[in-house]
Order: sequence, then C-alpha cells, then structure tokens
Amino acid sequence: MRNFFSITIICLTFLTVGVFLALANNLEHVAEQISNNMAAVFFLDTDISEEQLNAIEEELKRSQLVLETTFVSAEQAVDKFREKFPELQGIIENIKINPFPPSIETTFKEKTITFREASGLITQIKNMPGVEDVQFNQEWVDRVNSFSRLAKAVGFFLGGILVLASFFIISNVIKLNVLARKDEIEILRLVGATNTFIRVPFLLEGITLGVIGGLVSLFLLLLLINSIPIYLGSRPGVLNELINFRYLTLSQSITIIAEGGIIGFLGSLTPLARFLKT
Amino acid sequence: MIELYHIWKQYQKAQWALSDITFRVDKGDFCFITGPSGSGKTTLLKILYRQIFPTEGQIVIDNRNILKISDHKIYQLRRHMGIVFQDFRLVFHKKVFENVAVVLQVLGIPRKEIRRRVFNALRMVNLHNKMWEYPAHLSYGEQQRVAIARAVVNSPKIILADEPTGNLDTELAFEIMSLFKDINTKGATVLICTHDRELIRNFGQKILFLYKGKLLRKESL
Ligand SMILES: Nc1ncnc2c1ncn2[C@@H]1O[C@H](COP(=O)(O)OP(=O)(O)OP(=O)(O)O)[C@@H](O)[C@H]1O
Ligand SMILES: [Mg+2]
Repeated sequence: MRNFFSITIICLTFLTVGVFLALANNLEHVAEQISNNMAAVFFLDTDISEEQLNAIEEELKRSQLVLETTFVSAEQAVDKFREKFPELQGIIENIKINPFPPSIETTFKEKTITFREASGLITQIKNMPGVEDVQFNQEWVDRVNSFSRLAKAVGFFLGGILVLASFFIISNVIKLNVLARKDEIEILRLVGATNTFIRVPFLLEGITLGVIGGLVSLFLLLLLINSIPIYLGSRPGVLNELINFRYLTLSQSITIIAEGGIIGFLGSLTPLARFLKT
Repeated sequence: MIELYHIWKQYQKAQWALSDITFRVDKGDFCFITGPSGSGKTTLLKILYRQIFPTEGQIVIDNRNILKISDHKIYQLRRHMGIVFQDFRLVFHKKVFENVAVVLQVLGIPRKEIRRRVFNALRMVNLHNKMWEYPAHLSYGEQQRVAIARAVVNSPKIILADEPTGNLDTELAFEIMSLFKDINTKGATVLICTHDRELIRNFGQKILFLYKGKLLRKESL
C-alpha cells in the first residue's frame, strides 16, 4: 500500500516532466519543418521601376545568406493562385483589378539560419525604395522554438518540485520499512553485518520503486500521446501532419527511468543512517 | 584478551550502574560474572560488545581499544564475538534456521556451507528438529537455545552469554554449559553472566562478583 502510494507519486512526477518534454519535442519538430524551407517574400510596389527592381535583386544576390531569388510579377502571382486554388477562380475573375503585388521570393542557403542573422539583410532590403512589405517565416520558427524552450522550462520546473516530492515520499516509505525492521537491523549489526550489507536491501527497494514509477509513467505517456489524435479527429489535416505527435526520444526515456532509480537510491540513503549507529 | 580499566557507567544522574570496574580475562578463560539482579551484569556485557559506551574508562579487547572503533567498523569486533542476549533477540518473522544462519550470511559464506553449519549448531543445542519453525512457536527454553546456537555457529573467539541457562532445567543447563566448555577447550574465551550457583560451582574457573555496580571479589578456583 505504501509502495503503491510512492509509485503513484513518482509516476505523476515523471508523467508531468514527460508531457512537457514531449510537447517541447513536438514544437521543436514543427520548427524544424518550417525551417526546412526557409524563405522570405518581399512584396513590391505595383509601379516599381526597372532600376529599383534591379537594385533590389543586385543587393540580394550579393548577400552570402541567399541561395536563390525569383521575381514573381503580378500576373504570375495570379496564375499561381489560380493553380493552387482552382475553386476560388471566380473571385479573381470578378475583381477587375489584380489584387496581387509583384514580389521577389528569396530562399536562404542555411537551414539553420536564425532570425537575427537574416534580419539585417531583410530590414536593409525592406528600407529600399519600391519595397512594400516583407514576410519571413523564420520569425515563426523562432517563435515556435521559444515556445518549445518554454515548455521544457515549465516541465523541468514542475518536474523539479515533483522530484523533491517523490524524494520525500520514497524516503518516508523506506523510513517506515526501516522502522518496521529496526530490531532486525540492530541484530544484524550485533552479529557483525557491515553497514553496506544492511543498506543494500533498502537501497534496492528504493531504486525499484523509482524505476517502476519511471516505467509506468512512460507507459502512461505513451497511452496519452496515442490518444491525442483520436480527440483531434483522424482527419489528415495540416495540424496532424505538422504535429504528428511524437513520443520522447530514447535517451530521454532512459534518462527518466535512470532518474527514477537515482531518486529512489538517494531517498533510501538517509532513513537508515540513524539505525547504523550503536 | 579482554581488559577493563576503571569502567564507570551512569544511565541517570547520581546512579552508577557500574563503578570503577577493573579486571582482565585471559585468552582461553572460562569466566562467570554473578551478582544480584540490577547489579550491572548486563550493562557490563553491553559495554564489551559496544552496544553502549561507558561514562569513564577504557576497554582493550585483543589489543584494540574498542572505544576508538568507529560505528561503521564495529562489525570487525563483533564478528569475533558470539553473543547470547538476555532477551534472546530473535527475529520473529524468520524461521529458526534463518535466525541462526544470519551470522554466516553476513560473512558471505556459501549457502551449502551455511546449511551444514547451522544444522550442526542446532543439533548441539538439541533443536535440529525445530529448524523450520518460527521462534514464536517455541517455548522460552527453546528460544534461548536458538539464541545459543546463533552465538556459537561461527565458532567465535569470544563468547559473551547473558543468563544463557535462565529458562532451562538443570539437566539442559548442564548440557549447554558443557557445550560452552567444549568451545572453550578449543580456544575460545567465554564470559557468562548467571545467578546459578550450581553451575558456577561445577564449571567456574574465574568468578567475578558484582554488587550494586561494584566489583566485590575476583576469585579463581
Ligand atoms: N537503559 C537503561 N536506562 C536506565 N537505567 C538502566 C538502563 N539499563 C540498566 N539500567 C539500570 O542499571 C542497573 C544495572 O542494570 P543491569 O541490566 O546491568 O543489571 P543486571 O545485573 O543485568 O540485572 P539482571 O540480573 O536482573 O539481569 C539497574 O539498576 C538498571 O535499572
Ligand atoms: Mg541482566
């Protein structure tokens, strides 16, 4: 019963850590997918002059960061739109004027480029005459990444508190077990047992509690993650595809189990100490 | 072998359980400590196996000052001692066999060897047929014999026995004493607390009389 209680708490601990870790993993994955096609789009004035256009293209080509630039005229933009969303054609036909500005699409060389690195170039271009606006998906990548960091931090914070809690719970469970067997411990010492000999069974018990707690929480997390798509509906939506709920990595799982063991070990170290005197 | 120098023990203020005890037990001695109830016999033994510390004084066992041994090394001293406690100190949720075997288990002796030695020790106290019983199902005298078997199972260099025959009939008491005597002739030093004058008369070589914590007489017969 006591053991059940402590396993439950350890479980809760690692489940919390696990949920946030998994969330962070997923967000990281999303960020990675976005950054795989890193691009910026510069929207230009409709009446941009040839010179201005050339100057912008020149500037982009000179930069070390840029892999490729493509000019998309207003007409090409409309065609692209028609291609992509044929069912919306009517709308375009009804509007007499072309709603799409001409633009320059830029892809970057480095997949791992950060917003800060690119923003110098982007603001420089944005300030050039003839440039109306810019859209840069690295902003999203950075935002998602910082969410992922936040999730991790929250996970570790809550985890830290709960780790302390489970440390004390295990410690108390072992203390009760030690108290129940204190006569036996005294006899062991009187017949010449080393302290290590006396300690080992209690340490093993603590470690076992911790490891079982870790394992059960990983299993629950697996169930939880597998059940999320069911709630979202199994439509192959963008969200599903993007998120495609991921489990913890192998090393994260191993770490959780090992930490369970360590907490168990440390938790069962202290309660015995005072019975190893006399 | 065992040397005590000016041992004083005080549990409570102004009450000396032991006062200025000095004596020596040589290797191979068979020694009795006797005296009325409350005279400090158990206290003296507890000090010898370092369950408790004396308030004053020094004890040397086997050329080691035992008061200087740290708590985590005290097992080195106790492994050479076979102790029969006045209150037996058996583990009641473990069988007789396990109660005796623990002495050998802590030494890491192989299982088969443990079985052999435990059986022999229990046979010496005539309890080998109760090997798989729980101590709670045994009579007081039988429990006492389990405690004796545990004390002798590892053929220790020193035997400290606190009223080891207190619950046994005269015949059995003599048998147990003969057992201790056997072990003694094989080289062990034996120290026994008892009230039993009959036993002292028959077995005693060296007798220490305690009265109200003081050593009244040392006698060698
Ligand atoms: N833990 C303790 N706390 C306080 N006083 C104690 C403690 N143990 C023993 N005493 C006191 O010390 C004195 C000696 O006790 P001890 O147990 O050594 O006597 P004993 O000679 O073994 O008696 P018995 O023959 O009845 O076993 C007694 O007066 C007892 O009340
Ligand atoms: Mg006594």
